[in-house]
Amino acid sequence: MAAPKPSIVGPLANPPIVVSVSGVSKRFVIRKDKSIKERLVNFGRSRRHKEDFWALRDIDLEIAAGTTVGLVGANGSGKSTLLKVVGGIIRPTSGTVKRRGRLAALLELGAGFHPDLTGRENVFLNASILGLTRKETEGFFDSIVDFSEVGEFIDTQVKFYSSGMYVRLAFAISVHVNPDLLLVDEVLAVGDEPFQEKCMKKIREFQEEGRTIVLVSHSARQVEEMCDRVIVLSHGSVVFDGGAKEGIEALRNSFGT
Amino acid sequence: MSETARERADRLERLPLSDIQAGGGGVFRGFGVFISELRLHRELLGLLVRRELKSRYKDSSLGFLWSLIRPLTMLLIYFVAIGQFLGAAREIPDFAIFVFCGLTIWGLYSDIVLGSTSSIIANAGLIKKVYLPREIFPLAATGAAIFNFLIQFGILLVATALAGVFPLTWDLLYVPAGIVVALVYGVAFGLLFSALNVYLRDIQYLVEVGLLIFFWASPVVYAWSFVVKAGDDAALAWVETVYLINPMSLSIMAFQRGVWAAGSQERVTADGITIPPQPWPADMDLRLLVAFGVGLVLLFIAQRVFSRLQGNFAQEI
Repeated sequence: MAAPKPSIVGPLANPPIVVSVSGVSKRFVIRKDKSIKERLVNFGRSRRHKEDFWALRDIDLEIAAGTTVGLVGANGSGKSTLLKVVGGIIRPTSGTVKRRGRLAALLELGAGFHPDLTGRENVFLNASILGLTRKETEGFFDSIVDFSEVGEFIDTQVKFYSSGMYVRLAFAISVHVNPDLLLVDEVLAVGDEPFQEKCMKKIREFQEEGRTIVLVSHSARQVEEMCDRVIVLSHGSVVFDGGAKEGIEALRNSFGT
Repeated sequence: MSETARERADRLERLPLSDIQAGGGGVFRGFGVFISELRLHRELLGLLVRRELKSRYKDSSLGFLWSLIRPLTMLLIYFVAIGQFLGAAREIPDFAIFVFCGLTIWGLYSDIVLGSTSSIIANAGLIKKVYLPREIFPLAATGAAIFNFLIQFGILLVATALAGVFPLTWDLLYVPAGIVVALVYGVAFGLLFSALNVYLRDIQYLVEVGLLIFFWASPVVYAWSFVVKAGDDAALAWVETVYLINPMSLSIMAFQRGVWAAGSQERVTADGITIPPQPWPADMDLRLLVAFGVGLVLLFIAQRVFSRLQGNFAQEI
C-alpha cells in the first residue's frame, strides 16, 4: 500500500519520529519435537514436525511523538507480535526497527515480580528492570506506594497479595518510569472500575505530556476513545492506517476476510 | 499543547534514531555492545543476584545455612568414605583441607554452569515481556554462585588457620589464578548452555551428567599424584597430557597448590612413611595462562552464539 499518511499526527507541529519500522517480517517456525529422542525418532521427517508461518509481512510504519496509536485486528493477526518487535523482545526475521527515547512496556503487569520477595523489594527490582536507577526509584518510592494503594502491605511478600493489589503495584511502577514511548498490551482491562478509571486518567495525563503510546486492544470503544491513529492488521499485514473512527470500521470489515 | 510535550519532542529530536537490533551488528562490535549494555544494567544485575539468593531459601527456617550444609556434608562423606575407608588419606596429608579445597572451587564452577543453564527458562516470564540484555540472567546465577563460593572459601581459610596450616607462601598467588580460570570457563559454558537449553531442553540433563563425569575427571577427591602414578604404572605417558587438557583440572590444582600447603611439603606420617610433595605439573603458570586465554576465546564465542540465539527466546520458551 502507498506510504501511509496518518490523518492526525498528534497535537504538535512537526513532531519527531519515535518509532520507525521498515520492511519488517517475522516468520515463526514451530517445532513440535523438543527433546533429542523425539528429534531422532522423527529424523528425516522433521518437515512434518515443523510449522512455519508468517506472523508479520513487510510492515512499514512510522510513529510520531505524541501520538496514541491503537493496534487492532482479529486474534492471530500479528498485533502483539508487532508490539513485541517494536519493544525489542522479538527480533524480526527481516527488516529493521529504529527507536529513540526511553521505552516502557506494559505487556503484562507484574511480569517481573518474584512471589517470594516483599512489595518493597519488588518495586526496586521491577523499576530497575524497567530502567530506573536506584536513586530515581527511591525518589519515586512514596509516590508509587501511594498510587498503588497497597499501604502497609508494602513489606509483605507479594505472593500474599490479592490479584488487585498485585496489578495495582505493578501499574504504579510502570507509570513512574517516565517513558517517552509506552507500549500497552491488553492490560487496561484488569482491576476494578475505580482502578481502571485511575489508569485511564494516567494515560490521558501521559498524552497531555506528549508521550507516545502504542496499545493493543480488543475493545473498540477504548481504542476509539483514546487513540488518534488506528492501524488494522490482518494476517500479518497492515490493511488500514488512519483515523480512529475509520479504523474501527476497517477492523469490523477485516473480520469478514 | 502543553509545555512538557514540546520539551519532550525537542529532546527526542536531538536523540539519534537508533537501530534496536544492536547485538546483530559486526562480531566485535556486537561484543562491545554487550559489554556496554552490561555496564548500563549493573545495578539490575546486583538486584537479580540478591533476588536469587534471597528467594532460594526464603521460607526455610535454616535459610541460608542450607547452602553450607550441602558442601559440608559432602566433605564429611568424602572424608570418611574415600579418605578413611578407601585409604586415600594415607597418601594425602591434611586430607580434609585437601578435599574441601577441591569441593569449594569445583562447587563454584558447577554452580555457575548449572545455575546459568536453567536461568533463561526460569526467567521465562520476564524474557517474554520485557526487553533486557538476556545475558543478565546467566550472569545473575553466576553472581549467586560467587557469593556462595566466597562464604565457603572464608570457611576454608578459617579452617586452615585453626588447623595451624594457613598457607603463607608465594603459592597463595595460584588461588586467584585458579578462581579466574574456573570463572571464565563457567561463564562461557553457562552462557552457551543457557541459550541452547531454550531450544533443546535435554541440555540441562546433559549438563548434569557432564558435570558428574568431569567431577570425577578432576582431582577433587583424589590427588594429582594418583593420576601421575597410575599413568607411570601403566606406562602410558599420554594419561597426564589428556588429563591436563581439562581446564578445571588445572584450576583445581592451582587452588589446591595455593591453599593446601601440605601438598607442597614432604611429610612423614606417624608410622614412618614419607609422603613426597605433589608432583605439580611442569610449567603450571604457563598452562594456566594458556587455559585462561583459550577460556576467553571460548567466552567470546559463547556470547556471540548466545546473542544469535536470543532473538527467538521470547517465542521458543
